[in-house]
Amino acid sequence: MDPEAPSSHFSNCTHCGFCLAVCPTYKLTGDENNSPRGRLRLWSEEAAGRLPRDKWTDFYTEECVGCLACETACPATVPYGQIFERIRHDHVTTGRSHPGPVLRLAAALVTAPFWFNLALLPARLLRRCGLAWPPLLFPGRPPLLQSSAAYAAELMRLRNPTGPRVALLTGCLMEAMFREINFATIRVLIENNVRVVIPEHQGCCGAFQEHTGLGDAAALGARNRKAFGSVEVDAIVCNSSGCGYALGKSLAPDRPVRDVLAFLGDLGPVRRQREPTDATRVYVDLPCHLVHGQKSPGIPAAVLDATGYRWELAPNARDCCGSGGVYNLQKPENARAILAGKAAFLNEAEGAPVVLATSNHVCMMQWNSAGKSGLVKRPYEVRHVIQLLDPGECFGRGSGPA
Amino acid sequence: MNDLDVRLRALLPRGRVLTSPAQLAAYGADGLGYKNYRPDAVVLPADAAELAAFMRGAKRLAVPLVMRGAGTSLSGGPVAAQGGVIVHTSALKAVPVINAHGFWCEVESGVTLNDLDAILKPHGVFYPPDPSSGPVCTLGGNVASNAGGAHCFRYGVTSNYVLGVEAVLLDGSVHRFGGPAGGRGPWREDWKRFMIGSEGTLAAFTRFWLRLLPLPEKVWTFRATYPDLTTTEAAIHALVADPSYPAAIEMLDPRGVAMVESSQMACGLPEGSFLLLVEIDGPAPLVDGRVPHVAELLRRAGSTDVTFSEEALIRQKLWKARKAAGGLLGQLSPSYVVQDAVIPKRALAEVLRLVYDEADAAGIRVVNVFHAGDGNLHPNFLFDSRVPGELEKVERISKHLMERVIAVGGTLSGEHGIGNDKSGYMPLVFGPDSMRLQLAVPAAFNPTHQMNPLKVFDDRRFGS
Repeated sequence: MDPEAPSSHFSNCTHCGFCLAVCPTYKLTGDENNSPRGRLRLWSEEAAGRLPRDKWTDFYTEECVGCLACETACPATVPYGQIFERIRHDHVTTGRSHPGPVLRLAAALVTAPFWFNLALLPARLLRRCGLAWPPLLFPGRPPLLQSSAAYAAELMRLRNPTGPRVALLTGCLMEAMFREINFATIRVLIENNVRVVIPEHQGCCGAFQEHTGLGDAAALGARNRKAFGSVEVDAIVCNSSGCGYALGKSLAPDRPVRDVLAFLGDLGPVRRQREPTDATRVYVDLPCHLVHGQKSPGIPAAVLDATGYRWELAPNARDCCGSGGVYNLQKPENARAILAGKAAFLNEAEGAPVVLATSNHVCMMQWNSAGKSGLVKRPYEVRHVIQLLDPGECFGRGSGPA
Repeated sequence: MNDLDVRLRALLPRGRVLTSPAQLAAYGADGLGYKNYRPDAVVLPADAAELAAFMRGAKRLAVPLVMRGAGTSLSGGPVAAQGGVIVHTSALKAVPVINAHGFWCEVESGVTLNDLDAILKPHGVFYPPDPSSGPVCTLGGNVASNAGGAHCFRYGVTSNYVLGVEAVLLDGSVHRFGGPAGGRGPWREDWKRFMIGSEGTLAAFTRFWLRLLPLPEKVWTFRATYPDLTTTEAAIHALVADPSYPAAIEMLDPRGVAMVESSQMACGLPEGSFLLLVEIDGPAPLVDGRVPHVAELLRRAGSTDVTFSEEALIRQKLWKARKAAGGLLGQLSPSYVVQDAVIPKRALAEVLRLVYDEADAAGIRVVNVFHAGDGNLHPNFLFDSRVPGELEKVERISKHLMERVIAVGGTLSGEHGIGNDKSGYMPLVFGPDSMRLQLAVPAAFNPTHQMNPLKVFDDRRFGS
């Protein structure tokens, strides 16, 4: 597809309506304008000059979560995500959509990893101390000062793995706020005899820009093409499916990007041993950008088995949780309503403790909010699947290992 | 806000009223995306009670009313051909009663087929009609068009499963035609058959009472390839007459197979042949025992490549590919018209040859994927509505096809309904007397033809 002319693909849509059944905002509102085929119709009519610029077009565009479930459902393979991102970017640059000041500040900061890491140091400190925090921030103990790159280099020296070599994207929010997941990823990879490289000069994957329509995702893509383009590795891996999807688009078609769990699945990861009396039950939710964005079949059963816990897919695991990158900040009411349907099962779920595991940090934030906002009225823990493979991980104390 | 907007809001204090041009664009078309009719307004009643209350005041609006479920119709049914108000029933999603022992359920008209399937499955029962739009289409649309689907060869169509219809007429009166007790007791006249297939021309549907069946214990799906139309037709005749009584007999022509195999729905279908998809189901010992017989029958008819499976994943993949065929057409062409003619099966090869010959001569691509067991053709004519003259070519071929269909003793529509896409062909089948009687039915329920005008009958216009 010509990236300059996404409207040329509007016409692929035969208006069959298969997307309605999977669209979270159509399911929520029952309004066809609030569905993929409805939005495509609005954008194409406006592009063809049959519909004037209208605040309702702006409204329905902003309503889209961007979960891409419609791409999976679409028999005509309409590249909805690409069209949507371009339209959203156009709406922001032409003043039809106005992301708030916090998002604008964040969009500027994520392009400068040093300053972003520094700015979020107090947040890392508060998380590490386990202090009360907004509903989206799940508990964890992020290292404060040592970077993931330094940690990987140190652990590589100590363990000296000899297996396949991977380049890891450490991400912006993952590194600045949820660094403990990066550390866990590095530990698990190295324990599995994988050599880990953290390419220098890598930056934000661009997903934040795509989610908000702010900034220049293409420039970030170019930076990562330079950072990852020439590294000699067996695979480029990501531990957040949203970042993996965005980086994959930036590096395509030259360098494929793999989800770290899929990579481990092929290796057959070291299996954790649990006590026979361990009553932990893990419910696995599949991020939209993994199954609909990266078109992955899911998180490999071999990896989930290797956690040693009893696990099962959460009900409607392929449906959106409402996180949508920053959707839960921009459209909190919709996001909460979407999550309500997904999270209700946790109230009755068996297990002590009950763990909700997924593979995207923004989905983890959304799932964590279900308890804080009263949708789930019993204790549960939110974890990245990679943390369940981490030898230091344990439950019931509200935080993971450093 | 205009006057209509104000009056609609007064009628729908809890539901939603859409009147801005950008709120109406998405409602301009049904599954025939290339045809556009912009309504003057769209309303989304909050529930069945509000829909009934709306209908009480709707007559005074003096504009056409068009009921719409999920807008997946392929005949131009739920579109505002004469303008007016579209009533979208997406909020009517309740399934208040499942009586698994009595084999019936009560559902609201906006429930989708797949949601109903999922709700019924744990009870060990199912609702058989299965149009390909099942993931999204609603019971309201199914009843309005008397929908069918692949498995209707044995199970029958929607009308075989509707026990009762709750309908709201334009005077606001709520009628229950039929019901779980078969029309006795407190139920009104058993006029449900008037309602089924009425394409929104009589009343607004709020709920239905549906007959259910026990889920089949075992299912086997076969696929067999054939070199030409003649052997394919022979296989269909053999299957139809066989006591194994398949639940579904579907056909994909080589162009349909190629389309599936070059898409994300690819499932290893052998290309270059006509393909039959056949399913048998029932009690395990009975069905398992019939597998070799059906395979042999398919081979005897001329297939050298017969495979079959009871594995759910393989079967699901085959059916997903078959049922997504309509949408897959979007990968080939921006627009398409699908016909829905039903013909005696002895004329299958003959009529399909006409389809190929005419389409090839006109330079129009055609893909045939259809319910062969029912003789229910679905030639999909691909064209580009932006190229002048293409649609006219398709319409010309369609007209010739319909004339041949009538000549061999067939009819216009098996399951899609007439809508405004096939209304022009009605006089080919029905004489003046029959047309007069058919028109008298909507006139009895809504004399001014306010409900879905310009549908089924070309001259059925509101206000005339």
